[in-house]
Amino acid sequence: MSLARRNSGELAPHLRHWAERIEHVARAVKLDFFPLDFQLLDAADVNGIAAYGGFPVRYPSWRFGMEFERLDKSYTWGLSKIYELVINNDPVVAYLVRSNSDSEQKLVMAHVCGHADFFKHNCWFAATDRHMLDTMATHATKIRRSTDRFGLETVERFLDLALSVENLLDPYLPLRAHLRRTREPDPDLPRVTRTAAPTYDIVGFLVENAPLEAWQREILALVRAEAYYFQPQRMTRIMNEGWASFWHSRILTGGVLDASEIVDFADCHSGATLQSPGRVNPYKLGIELWRYAEERGEDIFRLRRIHNDASLLDELIDEGFVAREQLFVFGRNTRSGKNEVQDRDWRKVKTRLLADLAWGGLPQIELVEVDSDRELVLAHHHDGRDLQLAKAADTLVRLEALWKAPVRLETLEDGQPKRLRCERGEVRVEELAKPADKPAQPS
Amino acid sequence: MFRIEADRARFREIVRGRIRSDLKKYLSTAELIAKHGERAVSVPVPQIELPHFQFGENQKGGVGQGPGQKGEALDEGGQGEEGVGAAGDSEGRHILEVEVELAELAEMLGRELELPRIQPRGKREIQSDGGRYSGIRNSGPDSLRHFRRTYRQALKRTIAAGEWDPQHPRVVPERDDFRFRARRSQPVPDSSAVIFHMMDVSGSMGREQKEIVRIEAFWIDTWLRSQYQNIEVVYIVHDALAKQVDHDAFFHLRESGGTKISSAYELCLKLIQEHFRPEDWNIYPFHYSDGDNWSARDTERCITLLRDEILPRVNQFCYGQVKSAYGSGQFKKDLDDALGSDERVVTSSVAERGDIAQAIRAFLGKGR
Repeated sequence: MSLARRNSGELAPHLRHWAERIEHVARAVKLDFFPLDFQLLDAADVNGIAAYGGFPVRYPSWRFGMEFERLDKSYTWGLSKIYELVINNDPVVAYLVRSNSDSEQKLVMAHVCGHADFFKHNCWFAATDRHMLDTMATHATKIRRSTDRFGLETVERFLDLALSVENLLDPYLPLRAHLRRTREPDPDLPRVTRTAAPTYDIVGFLVENAPLEAWQREILALVRAEAYYFQPQRMTRIMNEGWASFWHSRILTGGVLDASEIVDFADCHSGATLQSPGRVNPYKLGIELWRYAEERGEDIFRLRRIHNDASLLDELIDEGFVAREQLFVFGRNTRSGKNEVQDRDWRKVKTRLLADLAWGGLPQIELVEVDSDRELVLAHHHDGRDLQLAKAADTLVRLEALWKAPVRLETLEDGQPKRLRCERGEVRVEELAKPADKPAQPS
Repeated sequence: MFRIEADRARFREIVRGRIRSDLKKYLSTAELIAKHGERAVSVPVPQIELPHFQFGENQKGGVGQGPGQKGEALDEGGQGEEGVGAAGDSEGRHILEVEVELAELAEMLGRELELPRIQPRGKREIQSDGGRYSGIRNSGPDSLRHFRRTYRQALKRTIAAGEWDPQHPRVVPERDDFRFRARRSQPVPDSSAVIFHMMDVSGSMGREQKEIVRIEAFWIDTWLRSQYQNIEVVYIVHDALAKQVDHDAFFHLRESGGTKISSAYELCLKLIQEHFRPEDWNIYPFHYSDGDNWSARDTERCITLLRDEILPRVNQFCYGQVKSAYGSGQFKKDLDDALGSDERVVTSSVAERGDIAQAIRAFLGKGR
């Protein structure tokens, strides 16, 4: 039944041999992970699985078809190629592309060991569902059942509504809940789990409180569960990629590659960590961070356990790192309309990086209250970056459709406080009075 | 992969506007960019983006990496790179962007669509000696030294000699390691070809239709350029009258009024007769329209022109019908009925951008 099984490709004997050898080396350098399940697939199939976010058993949706279209075209025209795909699951599932050369496969396997170790030990992943393959399959069954009862289009429309709000979540909630759970002395104690305002877990609030039909509530809940599953990956991408790359170089150059493959490895490795001029490549930044940490004599295993991207950068980035990596802050020159280098001061670089990474890279939107008219009141905690107001307005319309009562959001645009209020599908934007001007800051 | 194909089919239906019209307002076309030198090729991909709360595009900058003085403008060449803040959902999906040379692009196109290399037409096998430095030798002038192969050789020797130290990966090439490019002659089928792109610019051909023609013409040119050393491209537009235009006008001109396809064919024939003797040139006329013609009489005239005058002079005649809101698509039917059995005639129809690859395959798949 499962597609993964139907298309599954056993590793060729020589690859299996290498997989075992690499796993052995990885464990010898103190990486620790759930069992690895390597699957060998054709490029087109890997694209298909990637389109489902790594889960071939995921529910059907046009959105995955769209993603597949993009990946498939991009692959067809030779613009990009997926080398591997790793799933945070127990066992860790890793898909290898059949057309990779042997040395590429070795690189990928070593890389996978790094990711697998990270998944198991980074605290932000502690609360993730380690049987997500099964869970995703259950979600798919639920959605299919609703589809059979209410029709494809009805279910799909609701699903699309739900997906518009899937990023309204509290990135820190799962870890908090996990810690509370694991430290609770008596697991039979009744747990207070109702989500109440104020909260950042707006999807969770809607699941519990929006006037929905049972099947709709079920879908919103599963969309939320999937969003929370993926959230830690967004919050640790730099670290995680860096960690995997850091270890794959170490494992491979430590005797796994045979001599003639070193050049291939150098080629392939430099391709993945290549930085395009002027932009930060998260993979490159990640691997350099780990190298830097090691040079400074830090316990990198401890760092990989307790941090996310934002906190790790906060811990590690200093003057030396910024100078070595040639990092700078850029901004748009309003006269030329071009982006240009603005500052190389390491403090500014660091501040900027942290701002970009804060709150899991999402706009921080809080549900403040439900007012006496049952109107949903949201506030955007502005960190210097404006929301895209047109998109925000569209989102409010969809929120209203879920909440079935007016919704309003307060935010800033160019420093001007604004209120967007949506009632019966119409959004009105209102300018609010500015708060008393702060004393001018010396610049 | 059957399941994802079902999802893709549903997505395409939405893009075509057959279902879920509520999503139409979120539809846009993103482009995948392939770069080769100065030019960029874009492969369009339709996208539907459900609204989310998200940061505005025009954020006040970010963090970059690299050299450059304060105030120095950044190279904006990179398209669609992910910033540090924007993270993808799936873990460990590594996408490698590559730069492509035009020649490589043609090769990929050929491979992807399984295009055969073009067979020389008739007896005219002017075997031009395509001297290309594609071989490798152990001796040669320094100017032809192949750095990568030399390095690779030196590295192999270093490793074989047990001198390789991963901590200090130093490789010093010796005389014996040097490798040089060598000239290899390749027979090239023939040297010169001319492409005629003829397009209907009457009122019914909209912007999207022209865009389809543009993409199709680009790939056709790319492929044929890889097959011939010397390519001339002639652009003809027509409504009720035909005229020769330059590249720019070809893609931007919008005329209105009736459509007389024979006018374009007559002009094409005239140009062939005056400038491109079939003995010296491989001739490829392409015609694109939405399939409406002025009258059945004119269509007959077109068919006569093709059968008696044009076809005997050309390698292949291709007609690409682009679907428009107004076009009846009759012309393709008429052509197929009258000349469908002639293997020098290829017709195709394109309803949307996704069909372009199929059309190109039809046109170039015969290797003529």
